Amino acid sequence: MSAAATSGRVFDAERTIGRLLIGMTYVSVALMAVGVVLMFAKGISPLDPGPPLDPTQLVAQVTSLQPAGFLWLGLLIVIAAPIARVVLAARAYARDNDRTMVLVSIAILIVLAIAVAVAVAGGE
Amino acid sequence: MTVGLLMVAAGVGAGVFGSLLGLGGGILIVPILTLGFGLDLREAVGVSLISVIMTSSAAAGVYLERHVANMRLGMTLELFTAIGALIGGSIAFLLAENVLEGLFAVLLGYVAFTMARPRTETGHDTSTLDIDPDDDAQPAAEPSALDRLSGQGYRVRNLGLGIVGAGFAGIVSALLGIGGGIIKVPLMNIGMGVPLRVATATSNMMIGITAAASAIIYVARGGIDVYSAAPTAIGVFLGATAGSRLAHRVDLRILRWLFVAVLVYTAIQMLLRAVG
Repeated sequence: MSAAATSGRVFDAERTIGRLLIGMTYVSVALMAVGVVLMFAKGISPLDPGPPLDPTQLVAQVTSLQPAGFLWLGLLIVIAAPIARVVLAARAYARDNDRTMVLVSIAILIVLAIAVAVAVAGGE
Repeated sequence: MTVGLLMVAAGVGAGVFGSLLGLGGGILIVPILTLGFGLDLREAVGVSLISVIMTSSAAAGVYLERHVANMRLGMTLELFTAIGALIGGSIAFLLAENVLEGLFAVLLGYVAFTMARPRTETGHDTSTLDIDPDDDAQPAAEPSALDRLSGQGYRVRNLGLGIVGAGFAGIVSALLGIGGGIIKVPLMNIGMGVPLRVATATSNMMIGITAAASAIIYVARGGIDVYSAAPTAIGVFLGATAGSRLAHRVDLRILRWLFVAVLVYTAIQMLLRAVG
């Protein structure tokens, strides 16, 4: 088993987190597969320059069956999966009154938030 | 469509090889995309990061379900890999392309060297690690920080070394688009006394956050092209899934030497590109 001090709650949460990671991976693979099929159907080569991410257009791109919508949605779910894992772990540790691990989880999320801020600032 | 199918096939090949040899697909994806498909290295690194997160999430999910990964230790160390990845992801856009290519050639040479040298038993033998899901034994005395990070049958040591090594692994991962298991697994196993199987599972779990921290920067700065990322990532995922099922049917000694030869050849090609 993992940590010696792992309580029953965290132990159960590990199973839930494992299932979430696997589920999100399969959803992202499915979305990307649809996007790749649409790419091929529209004669788009992987070497053609792809459109940048535009979150405001994502829903419209998916509903109008544009490959970029499915590809970006799948890709965002890929990136979100480990972040969701940290959030669920933080909740399990909070229920377990493990303040150290709650702080570690929050610190990880803060680092990711800084990454977003750095990326947005650098992209402008 | 032909190029697309070739990219999926390249991803499958990288995924199978990476999975069989426990390296992840990143170490192969970047050279394949740069040398084989003509992508620039930064773009290939972005594609590789997505492939790496995808395969590590699937594998980490299984490890967590089976309670093999040490989530507490992994999350403590991944705080520092994420900080390293944040630094590496920012530096990556400042460095010249040929500097990154030179660094990648050095990495390939290092991996080839570690795979070619004779195997020695280190740390704990994980094949005998007894995993009992029903055993929730608590330490009798007030546990120290290291006790809290330790697992059944082993005690974690050298947390300071682990933190520094994790930060370094994060920087390398973000710069070169690899999961960083090649650094984290020996760091935890040899440096921190974590059994190999637990170290491998925990490293796999950490890769997701490490790569996600830098992938966010790559996405926002236009460093990831969805048209090349998706076919490759799907291929790597399929290949890694197939590889994990083939592992017990393949003679890994022959495969290992073949892989060393491929790595050396690729390192030379990458070095030649770096020096123009």
